[in-house]
Amino acid sequence: MIQLSYLDYLAVEGKSWLHRTSPKLKMIGVAFVLLGVITLRSPSELLLLYVILLTLFFISRVPLRIFPLTFYPLIFAFLFIFISGFRIPFIMLIFLKVLCGSTGAVLLLATTPYPSIFCVLEKIFPSLFVTALFLTYRSIFILLSILEETQQTLYLRGGLQWRHPWRSLINISNAFGHLIIKGIDASEKMYESMVLRGFKNRIHYRGE
Amino acid sequence: MSHIHIPDGVLPIWLWVLGFIVTIFVGIILFRFIKKEDLTKRLPILGMMAAVMVLGASVEIVPIAYHVNLTVISGILLGPTLIFLATLIVNILLAFLGHGGITVIGLNTLTLSIEGILGFFFFRFLWKWLKRLTPAVFLATFLALSSSTLSMIGIVGLGTSHYEELIHQEGKGMIGFSLLKEKNSHPEENRAEDKVNLRKFMAILLPLGFIGWVLEGVITVLIAQYIYRLRPDLLRLERQTL
Repeated sequence: MIQLSYLDYLAVEGKSWLHRTSPKLKMIGVAFVLLGVITLRSPSELLLLYVILLTLFFISRVPLRIFPLTFYPLIFAFLFIFISGFRIPFIMLIFLKVLCGSTGAVLLLATTPYPSIFCVLEKIFPSLFVTALFLTYRSIFILLSILEETQQTLYLRGGLQWRHPWRSLINISNAFGHLIIKGIDASEKMYESMVLRGFKNRIHYRGE
Repeated sequence: MSHIHIPDGVLPIWLWVLGFIVTIFVGIILFRFIKKEDLTKRLPILGMMAAVMVLGASVEIVPIAYHVNLTVISGILLGPTLIFLATLIVNILLAFLGHGGITVIGLNTLTLSIEGILGFFFFRFLWKWLKRLTPAVFLATFLALSSSTLSMIGIVGLGTSHYEELIHQEGKGMIGFSLLKEKNSHPEENRAEDKVNLRKFMAILLPLGFIGWVLEGVITVLIAQYIYRLRPDLLRLERQTL
């Protein structure tokens, strides 16, 4: 989750041609990747799509540091090994579908600033829904900064230790409770400042 | 636990399209019961709770491949209508972070909101009945999680024939070339082995799920106790014993 702020930084600071490409075009591109993932049923075709995405990844100069992010969804694909009864081609098919989808999503997030994404979304979905999505996205960063402060307190209270599971459970739950209360306080303040600035059910995005 | 971590292109199209249709339908019905002013006023808290759920989902308990959802505590704090929108948003963000496919967002919203909505109602009922926070929250979480996990298994089960089709169609692509398919790799006698083993899937999932339900139940109780000590107004209860 911490990588989200780094992705955001890359999207804003990146200078490659993919960063300069129109957000609308990139989102259409992701939709096509998705279409490919849904319709393609051969590992070789999916491999071709994955190679194209990898090429895009490397020529758009996205740092290798975030490349492991594309492997993260594989954790959840492991259950399919058991579903399929250890059929290697089927497992490869699933893994390639996962990798294509995740690489496409990471590429979009690493090369497109989020206001630009919301600007496009606002034209398609109801404004209330896009506002809620935007506020959630902003809240993640607020919570991450609260979490940073909480980590120190958590460490002083013993942190997370496998040898003391009950204490660890109490600590992690208190940390979440603290996050929720602080987060709600922050959200109330945020709403008041939004109203002061003229918020009326809708946030306008300049797409920059 | 009820979050479906199925990637895109695995579930049959009719199933995930139906998921989106039902989600939109349920959303329209739920939002007819809430005033627009109330909704606007509660949007920031909705955003914050959705963000807490996203953060919760990123805390992976590796040995059992489990992550907490915090949907029940969010449901208790937000109420049944807002938790529905919150779960939709959480699922969109999680889909982009690799937790389940983008096409599965509709189905994930339905299963996850079952957890939040049932959690809210179970908690209200148990609180009225037991008048004690700890058992009310624990039982509400446990029951809501088990219900949504069962609904998730039901959804996965609906796609069984499609997985079998995928297993059998390996190598037969849209474009028609293949690198991996071996000649006669699936003779008829091996056909039975190719059946999707849903029982094995359940045998793995349910024991792990049970550990997860208990674990999340305990975490939710501890969070609720913490909130009850510091901001009991958020739980909207008359003061009673822990």
